[in-house]
Amino acid sequence: MIGEIAHFLALASALGLILALIFNAFFYSVGRHSNQDILSYKLFHQSCLLIFISFGLYIYLAITDDFSISYIANHSNSQLPIFYKITSIWSAHEGSMFLWIVFLTLWSTLFISSLSFKHPLKKGTMLMLTIIILGFLLFLLITSNPFERILPFGVLEGADINPVLQDPALAIHPPLLYLGYVGFVISFSFITAYLFHGDIHYPWEKDIKNWSFVAWIFLTIGITLGSWWAYYELGWGGYWFWDPVENVALMPWLAATAFIHSLFASSKSNILKTWTLFLGILIFALSLFGAFIVRSGIIDSVHSFANDPQRGLYLLGFSGFITLISLGIFAYRLPNMQSSKLIVTGSKESFLSMNNILMLTAIFSIFLGVTYPLILEFINGDKVSIGPPYYNTIFAPLILMTSIFIMISLEALWQRGMQARTLLIAVTPTFVISSLILYFIWYFVQIFSLLAYIGIYSGLLIIISYLLKGAISLKNKTYINKGSFIAHLGLGLLFFAVSMNSILSYQKNINLFLGEQQFINNSITEFKFLDLQNIKASNHDVVSAEIFIVHDGQPIYLNPEKRKYFARGQITSETAIYATALKDTYLTIGDQLDDGSWTFSLQINYFIKWIWFSSALMVIGILMTIFKKKIS
Amino acid sequence: MLKNRKKRLQKFFIIMLLSAIGASLVLFALNSKLDLFYSPSEMLAADIKPGYRIKLGGMVEIDSIKREGTKVLFVVTDFEVKVPVSFDGIVPDLFKENSGVVVLGFYSDGLFVAEKIFAKHDENYMPPELTRQEPG
Repeated sequence: MIGEIAHFLALASALGLILALIFNAFFYSVGRHSNQDILSYKLFHQSCLLIFISFGLYIYLAITDDFSISYIANHSNSQLPIFYKITSIWSAHEGSMFLWIVFLTLWSTLFISSLSFKHPLKKGTMLMLTIIILGFLLFLLITSNPFERILPFGVLEGADINPVLQDPALAIHPPLLYLGYVGFVISFSFITAYLFHGDIHYPWEKDIKNWSFVAWIFLTIGITLGSWWAYYELGWGGYWFWDPVENVALMPWLAATAFIHSLFASSKSNILKTWTLFLGILIFALSLFGAFIVRSGIIDSVHSFANDPQRGLYLLGFSGFITLISLGIFAYRLPNMQSSKLIVTGSKESFLSMNNILMLTAIFSIFLGVTYPLILEFINGDKVSIGPPYYNTIFAPLILMTSIFIMISLEALWQRGMQARTLLIAVTPTFVISSLILYFIWYFVQIFSLLAYIGIYSGLLIIISYLLKGAISLKNKTYINKGSFIAHLGLGLLFFAVSMNSILSYQKNINLFLGEQQFINNSITEFKFLDLQNIKASNHDVVSAEIFIVHDGQPIYLNPEKRKYFARGQITSETAIYATALKDTYLTIGDQLDDGSWTFSLQINYFIKWIWFSSALMVIGILMTIFKKKIS
Repeated sequence: MLKNRKKRLQKFFIIMLLSAIGASLVLFALNSKLDLFYSPSEMLAADIKPGYRIKLGGMVEIDSIKREGTKVLFVVTDFEVKVPVSFDGIVPDLFKENSGVVVLGFYSDGLFVAEKIFAKHDENYMPPELTRQEPG
């Protein structure tokens, strides 16, 4: 019964949105702000409320194990803790789409109520948001109904959530990621409304600045959590695989990063406005492209849901439709936006524009990497896959150029050029110090890899230039933007850590009997297989090994596990990690061989912690920027 | 006016030229960095040069998994031809007999040396070209 009520509420919400759309479109053509507007606002907000109630009921159904609902029966289990019963909702297509829509609605209703009644863009923004929510709600109800019943009788026990997904980090990774993706619907709709409205002098940036920052934060945390989870759960020791689905998350992130930078310049100097508007549209368009890639199953990926041409076609059509509306209006207004003022070479804006171009190049390269296999297969039937070598080759030079521009723009001024001499004096110390450090790294490591060294050097350029700037401003007590300072240090550290990780990390496969010990290398002088235990847990069996390692003279005990889950009979490995500031000692247990010995995979991963830390720094930096705005 | 137009045309061509160069560089990078995907029959028919990295997808043959130290030996099949594969390391948890697998590596002299083994999160996964040929 509750299932039907939830279903009915979702349908009612769709109906309410259709009415809101009709009213809104009608009153928009009338033009004035009138009392009738209140009606369409109310309709909009109440339709949103219906979606929230419907989702609330759905959570209730999942908690109470209503296995007559087909989706819940397929993805949950009565033995699961309540936390995972709830998170099982977004473990597959239908439920996660539902969550996506709930967040879409949440952002929309919050943003619309934050705009004052007389706000010139309120009606237009709401119109666009209504279209988008409605489009996805209909998609959910028509092609992927999460409320579907198993008729006439439900099953007694659910099929269980996939064990690798039974993990706190992964449980909150999709919601955060979705909050980020979907959060850019605000800038998308607001920009479309702004362009449609036609008053190009309206200072639109201030209304969506903090919304975009918050969405960026969610997107960044979402991506980082996914990467972190992959690192410790999957047992491959990697954190980023250039998988198509990771790529479609990275594209909006790059666009969003360019956007929040341009937003700052757009409101400051009026010159980068067209850039900013375009980027604002692009982010959400890329998010939609991502939804299409993941949910159509068109690309084979570890993340993708089942292949379904009907869903793919709907998503492609609808995403194309709203992106075209937005880009169409943008193209229509473009001639009015031509600024008589040109960007001064050597000004801060000029470097920002250069980095915008580099970001777009990066996005385009990823886009090509994701779609090229599809195009090639369509043309001549060859099946290919594009892996890390392609992306590494493309990204190394882009990162170096971006870093140099970031470094120079630190010295540049808004709207004013700089003299070559001042520039030279300012950046020479950074170049010298970075080169020296790079040389020392080579001297100690004695491993050479061109791409990795480009990455390390890029990271150093950013870190050193900001540290020098910080030291100078501390000494002279001059102003420095603390949020930007921290965020860029994070970026520099990210480049540095990723590249160092790639040259220093290594893996050893070991084959041992119980009680046996082995010498691995000069760093790991002892590897001893102490004990093996069989343990029974609530919903799985555990085989747990105890390993004693002497790593750089330090004794470490590690307990890698293998688990067998009852409900699906699936086997998972639990990695044992011993982390120090510099490196992780990362151990997974493999299979038992016929002769009774066991295989282990030992990985030494350098600078891994620094990668998560750098991403945290970027988030903190943006948080400080938001907070600073609030108090000033 | 005319001068202006000429200037704009010039600008347009320069931008087009630069984009064309950029795109061809990217495509060049793509072509040398991509891994072709084959089924066992396709791979044997294609005459792969040693040292050319490819992806091979198929089913792990029943009773074919053997272990030698840290090495795993098994046979990938598409129910027409068989390719022996050797892999040094720990196989993914979802790697098992009679289920789908994709291996990345090099083929020479009748042996496929795998660098990586992929198995899907989804235990029902099977390479798309095998779904049609699945027996039973």
